[in-house]
Amino acid sequence: MTTPTTPARVRRQLPTSPWLFAAPGLLVTGAFVLYPFVSTLINSFTDRRTLLPGRFVGLANFRELLHDDMFWTGLRNSTLYIVGVVPALVVLPLLLALLVQKNIPGITFFRAAFYTPVVASIVVVGLIWVWLLDERGLINSLLESVGIGRVGFLSDQWLLLLSAMTVTVWKGLGYYMIIYLAALANVPRELHEAAAVDGAGPVRRFLSVTVPAVRSTMVLVAALSSVAAFKVFSEVYLMAGPSGGPAGEDTTLVMLVQRTGTGLTGRVGYASALSVVVFAVTVVLMLLVLRADRREEP
Amino acid sequence: MSMSRRTLTAAVFALVLPLSACGSGGDGGGSADASGKVEGDITFQTWNLRANFKPYFEGLIAGFEKKHPGTHVKWIDQPAEGYPDKLSADAAGGTLPDVVNVSPDLVAPLAEAGLALDLDKVAPQYKSDYLPGAWASHQIPGKRGTYAFPWYLNTGPLFYNKALFRKAGLDPDRPPKTYDELFADALRMAKESGGSVATLANVPTIEDFGRYGVPLMNQQGTAFSFNDAKGVELLTKYKELYDAKALDPQALTATPESSGKKFLTGAVAMNPGSALDLGNFKKNAPSLYRNIGITDQITSTGHVNMYVMGVMVNSRTKHTAAAVAFAHFVTDAQNQMSFAKKVAIFPSTAHSLADPYFSKEDGTDETRVRVAAAKSLKNAVNYTPVLFSDQMKTALRNEVAKALQGKESPKAALDNAVSTANRLLKQG
Repeated sequence: MTTPTTPARVRRQLPTSPWLFAAPGLLVTGAFVLYPFVSTLINSFTDRRTLLPGRFVGLANFRELLHDDMFWTGLRNSTLYIVGVVPALVVLPLLLALLVQKNIPGITFFRAAFYTPVVASIVVVGLIWVWLLDERGLINSLLESVGIGRVGFLSDQWLLLLSAMTVTVWKGLGYYMIIYLAALANVPRELHEAAAVDGAGPVRRFLSVTVPAVRSTMVLVAALSSVAAFKVFSEVYLMAGPSGGPAGEDTTLVMLVQRTGTGLTGRVGYASALSVVVFAVTVVLMLLVLRADRREEP
Repeated sequence: MSMSRRTLTAAVFALVLPLSACGSGGDGGGSADASGKVEGDITFQTWNLRANFKPYFEGLIAGFEKKHPGTHVKWIDQPAEGYPDKLSADAAGGTLPDVVNVSPDLVAPLAEAGLALDLDKVAPQYKSDYLPGAWASHQIPGKRGTYAFPWYLNTGPLFYNKALFRKAGLDPDRPPKTYDELFADALRMAKESGGSVATLANVPTIEDFGRYGVPLMNQQGTAFSFNDAKGVELLTKYKELYDAKALDPQALTATPESSGKKFLTGAVAMNPGSALDLGNFKKNAPSLYRNIGITDQITSTGHVNMYVMGVMVNSRTKHTAAAVAFAHFVTDAQNQMSFAKKVAIFPSTAHSLADPYFSKEDGTDETRVRVAAAKSLKNAVNYTPVLFSDQMKTALRNEVAKALQGKESPKAALDNAVSTANRLLKQG
């Protein structure tokens, strides 16, 4: 009996061919992910400017940012963004998904309507909200007509941040709702029926059946939304303006990276150090969320 | 045979090395001698001019190509928004066009990086074609040379809403002429309107400090000095306006565009602008246009603020002679005059402002603005120091906002702004 053998030519090609298949992907990843990442890391230890090559300065940029008030303002605002936005984005889309889960006539319209902000351009969304919240905008006119008076949504430091968070939540609701809808579709109906037979009301069924069943999805949503919240840029930039709100008090870390590192006189080295901090915090956030998930695993 | 470690390393280097060539540095070649034959393909970049002046520039380019057979000019236009970022990306990526429309503060970092051709060296024969002040506008303190041909100059009047002046009991035919009158009228406007109409919509910028008579830099151009007593006085006055709602509450985050909109909707009574704005008022706010008042910029120095545009030649161009010739052609007296007749700008070439076009009124608001602006340009000043970078502008703006909100005293705020600006100046 002879053992079937792979021809020598084929055997030689096999180990190389996976690399050839992977090459386009590797090239793109290398050029647009790996290279910028390594380059940022290297730049963070230099005093490089946009047009002038930098010198190695060791940890000077990191030391400087510890004494930079704007860095602490940015870190505070980015952290506040997580605190303000993530709980809302974990809970509200779930409730919304429960509402639109039911197959009643016209429900597709509502599903589409809730999803519309997700596909709308953030610039358009931002501008619409700026018009609504302006000192002379629709919301202030309504507040004035009921005797409350005009509110400085876009001129007060904290209200501005809150307004930007509202926009982020409003825009993100539909996206996370879709994720929850997929998770809810996998919750066995029998569990609900059994709970109902045992006398559990809708709230009890939600807490004892639905929430445990979609817990992993909730962790995923928390992880995704916290990373996105920490890296927020567009909403705050559009509503607070390029200066980052009054006296720059609404600046987030990513806005600070953009402001510091761009333009003809941009401090690329310093902005890279800020980016490295954003990256490190993001990694820590992901690890924390994943660890929390593992700990709650039954 | 599996892929060896050496092969993998080579592949990674092959990937990374070409990329590392990106970014600044690297001599792109090109001669710094403009005396050769004017020929070759060059690129010319303008700053948001295609939408309104396409036929003018096409004619201009055709005229140059006809005058210099063997040349071809490729015209690129970039939007106004983010123009400095686009320039920095091109400069860092080695794709800066051969001839570029710039302002003096954009030229400074490009010249520092060796990307702008020194015209005093390669084209000194053209110096006498321009107004001496305009030629000097593209020079950089502490550095020899002139780094762009001066192009058009612009200044603008102050527009005011006569209806709002009337409503506040102010004489619509007697707008404020001095800072004291401006502050007094603004406080009255806020009081009479119950705080719903502000007179101004922007916090003071570096130009405002200059116009108020604050020395912006020391004589040597090595340190900023706008934190002196006069600077503190201006900021203190603005704080009074802010507290009385004579300065729009959203001024702390305003941009020129947003404050223009406020003026358009009647939320603020005065706004700086140019003759270009009249057409906008006519089209978008007819009721405002019927009540529009035009007055001179307010200044304590006797010199109004002027914006200068320039045309720079990339030092790494492969066709220096053609690029220099084209940059001069765009900015020569004849072409600047022709451009000025299409839009409310003013030529930087010697004697052009003596043309009757800039001194004879025909009774329309447009010519009134043009004649008044041309007159004030004769001793106008570009108050923005060429070394005042975007980061410095942001630092000043943030400190001004802190002072207006009462979080810092005007003196402390300006001290901080000057200290930050000086630190950034030293860092280069």
